[in-house]
Amino acid sequence: MSLELPVYLIDDDDSVRRSLRFMLESYGLNIIDFDSAEAFFSAVDLTQPGCALVDVRMPGLSGSQLHAELIAKNSPLAVIYLTGHGDVPMAVEALKLGAVDFFQKPADGAKLAEAVVKALEHAKTHYQDNQYLETYQALTPREREILKLIAQGLKNQEIADNLCIAMRTVEIHRANLMKGMQVASLAEMMLIYGRIAERLPLE
Amino acid sequence: MYFRLYCSPLSAIKNHIMHRLPRWDLLAQYGFYAFCSIAVLALQSVLFTGDAMAKPQDHTEPSVSATPTLLVAKGSVVAEPSEQPNNELIVQSNNESYAVVDVGVLAIRGYKATITRWQPLMRWLETQIPNSYFRLHPLSLDELAKGVETQELDFVITNPGQSVLLARQYSLSWLATLRSPLNHGAAMQVGSALVVRADSAYHTLSDLKGRRLGIVSTSAFGGYLTLVYEAQLKGIDLPRFVGDIVPLGFPLDNLLYQLGGRRFTAHASPNIAPNVEQATTDTSPDVSSSISANPDSTLDSDLDLNTHHQVSQADTLDAVVVPVCQLEQMQREGLIDIADYRVLDNQAPAGFHCQVSTRLYPNWSMAKTNRASQSLAKSVTQALLALPEDHLAAKAADSAGWTTAVSQLAIDQLLKDLDMHPLQTPWWHNAWLWVKSHQQWAWFVLGILVLLNVYHFWLEYRFSRRGRELLNTQRQLSENRMLLEHAQRIAIVGELGASLSHELNQPLAAIGHYCHGAEVRLQRGSTPEELQSVLTLIQQEVTRADSIISRLRNLMKKRPISKVPCFLHELIQDTTPLLAYEFERHQINIGIHITGTPYLQPLDEVGMQQLLLNLLKNAADACVQQRELMQSEAQGTGQDSATQQQRYTPTIDIELDYQQSQILLSITDNGVGLSSEASQLMQAFYSTKLEGLGLGLVICRDIVDSHSGHFKLDSAVNGGCQVQVSLPRKADGVL
Repeated sequence: MSLELPVYLIDDDDSVRRSLRFMLESYGLNIIDFDSAEAFFSAVDLTQPGCALVDVRMPGLSGSQLHAELIAKNSPLAVIYLTGHGDVPMAVEALKLGAVDFFQKPADGAKLAEAVVKALEHAKTHYQDNQYLETYQALTPREREILKLIAQGLKNQEIADNLCIAMRTVEIHRANLMKGMQVASLAEMMLIYGRIAERLPLE
Repeated sequence: MYFRLYCSPLSAIKNHIMHRLPRWDLLAQYGFYAFCSIAVLALQSVLFTGDAMAKPQDHTEPSVSATPTLLVAKGSVVAEPSEQPNNELIVQSNNESYAVVDVGVLAIRGYKATITRWQPLMRWLETQIPNSYFRLHPLSLDELAKGVETQELDFVITNPGQSVLLARQYSLSWLATLRSPLNHGAAMQVGSALVVRADSAYHTLSDLKGRRLGIVSTSAFGGYLTLVYEAQLKGIDLPRFVGDIVPLGFPLDNLLYQLGGRRFTAHASPNIAPNVEQATTDTSPDVSSSISANPDSTLDSDLDLNTHHQVSQADTLDAVVVPVCQLEQMQREGLIDIADYRVLDNQAPAGFHCQVSTRLYPNWSMAKTNRASQSLAKSVTQALLALPEDHLAAKAADSAGWTTAVSQLAIDQLLKDLDMHPLQTPWWHNAWLWVKSHQQWAWFVLGILVLLNVYHFWLEYRFSRRGRELLNTQRQLSENRMLLEHAQRIAIVGELGASLSHELNQPLAAIGHYCHGAEVRLQRGSTPEELQSVLTLIQQEVTRADSIISRLRNLMKKRPISKVPCFLHELIQDTTPLLAYEFERHQINIGIHITGTPYLQPLDEVGMQQLLLNLLKNAADACVQQRELMQSEAQGTGQDSATQQQRYTPTIDIELDYQQSQILLSITDNGVGLSSEASQLMQAFYSTKLEGLGLGLVICRDIVDSHSGHFKLDSAVNGGCQVQVSLPRKADGVL
């Protein structure tokens, strides 16, 4: 259940922060609030999934600087911007960076809650992708090669011919692949590969 | 700026005109004008009613002349007419074998007493000079002077005061001075005694301030002038010092009676006071009849020499001035009890038997006029000097015979100092003579006076009209100034728009969030009780929003300038939130430092807020400009703008120092600094900013001026700009 994931609320204005927290908690969200980006960074494990609601303008690190940091660290945390009076260029910039949404205060509670839920889902997916990628990175180069060829729809014999190895060897590698990828079926493995393929470095 | 220039002279004029509600100067002018008009009329009437004033008035005060001393002598044989020449003719026709000698005597104690006093001397002279007939004429001061002038007298016997006056006007030769029997024959025998009732509270002359003083006459020497002179030597202007001076005229006895001591002789009732006309026509009674009169005629003297200067019973005198020895004389005569009286400031020299309040002057003297021959004068002098001390004639004259004439210098000095010397004509007399002889000039001067006066009124009118115009202009200027200030405040609010809307948006957002949260919770089954606390939170946010709005409203409304005591640092803490967002947006650090013990100061709150907003906004703009400048420089040199930004931290420091005598506020920034001369920046409509009105600093200085403070714009040490405002401390709560 994605609602159990933490929602980090970062705003320097106490009353706005408290009121947002009050509103979002009524939707059953798990809110953890910070009054500055610095406090957020020092307290949160950025590798875990979650959602960050950030105020654009804050003393110290601003909302966009916080977002940039998250991207740099490939954090699964999804970002939603909050602003006192947003303008179009700022919103475009934010969404280009990969923000889930952009809200102007006072935010409509229902829409914000909805966006948060969506962001949490997004974060979960992002987190899973990160997991898959890690698994993929753990494979041997030969296994990654065979996986790529499987994904291209080649049969075992064709793979063996292609790589000039024995058919039996291909079968062993394939079994190891299934184990390493922690999947039960070929179809599942193909699904995962499809999700991470776009983020794979070109080989 | 132009309205500033007008303010200070205008306020001076305003003070001059508005605060001088009773126009005393104008009233005085009107009074002067009226006086001038009257003077013109008076001059006219005098100059055109002939030569009425041609003969210079006798400057001896004529008050005694109103006091006829020659009254009806009871039983006088012949009532002769007062014309002396006729008198002479008659006598000569009757007594051809005798040389008639007319002797004028100052009658100080009435006609009879005078006869009694001097007739024996006449007898003595007749016995000493064969074939002579000495005729005695008791006369008043004026009559005596007139007698000498018209050469109706051969000899005069008078008191020292008049003797000098006469001697300076007419040719008189002094023959002898009377010696006093009391004081070993001293010739110095004249002075004044200032007498009060023994039971009165006065002890010195200075106690008599504002009191009623009785005198015989303002020209009397022994009875008055000597005392005036004595007072003058003490620094007292006697005629002004005492409340009222009542000249009672001769006889002197009356003065003491009026003072209110006991009288021992039966006296006639006041209704015997004779008719004045009759008194003046009945003159010079036959001398022989006078001689035969009882020497002890004090009883009669009251009847004969009654005074018509009766002081009414209500106006009792506080003190009287009598010639020296008058008191003792009357005591000796049994008329009064000296114990009823007291003499103030007695300074009688040792061995002098009478009390006296002044120094002593030479006694009565006898002089010859032009009419008497030298040989006669010589015989008379010899006769006088030969008069034995104990002779009847000497005793009757209250003397110890005669001695050679004594120097009159002391008297001369006195008269000179009192401005009464016969050789000194009074200034007004000279002035009058001048006016008489230079009429055209007098008219000219008067005309100039009138013209000047008219001119003055005209100027006054012009001035007051001009003053009113200036006041109107000033009022308009101050109205305009208020409007301008207001406009500038609105302009600031406009410039702060983003900041303000942010400030206002925050609480509104919070309220929205609370409401939505509460709504969702209610839908999901929370009880209203659980949500009670939210309402409090909402209330807090409403208060926050409200405070911002009222702050704004204060700033934007037109209002009269009013100063209320408040703490400046509270005002600063109240104002900075309006700019908080502005600072945050540009990441400007703001520091507020307060030193000293805060105290209340009467301040125009809105004006002060405007001042702070203007200055802080300027500082913030300067910081932003500085950053942009550095960024463009960085781009030019290819440096990373981020590192450049790291290096520059925009800072605004507000320092508030509550000093003993003043509050010192300084706002320092590290922005671009001043681009023009400070004096130029302070001019109206001069701005270095694109959208600037150029009014901010002008209005700031205006506001500081209205608190009688000082405003200083300077470059800061770090290259930025520093504004210093000093407000002199005013008493707590007093405006």
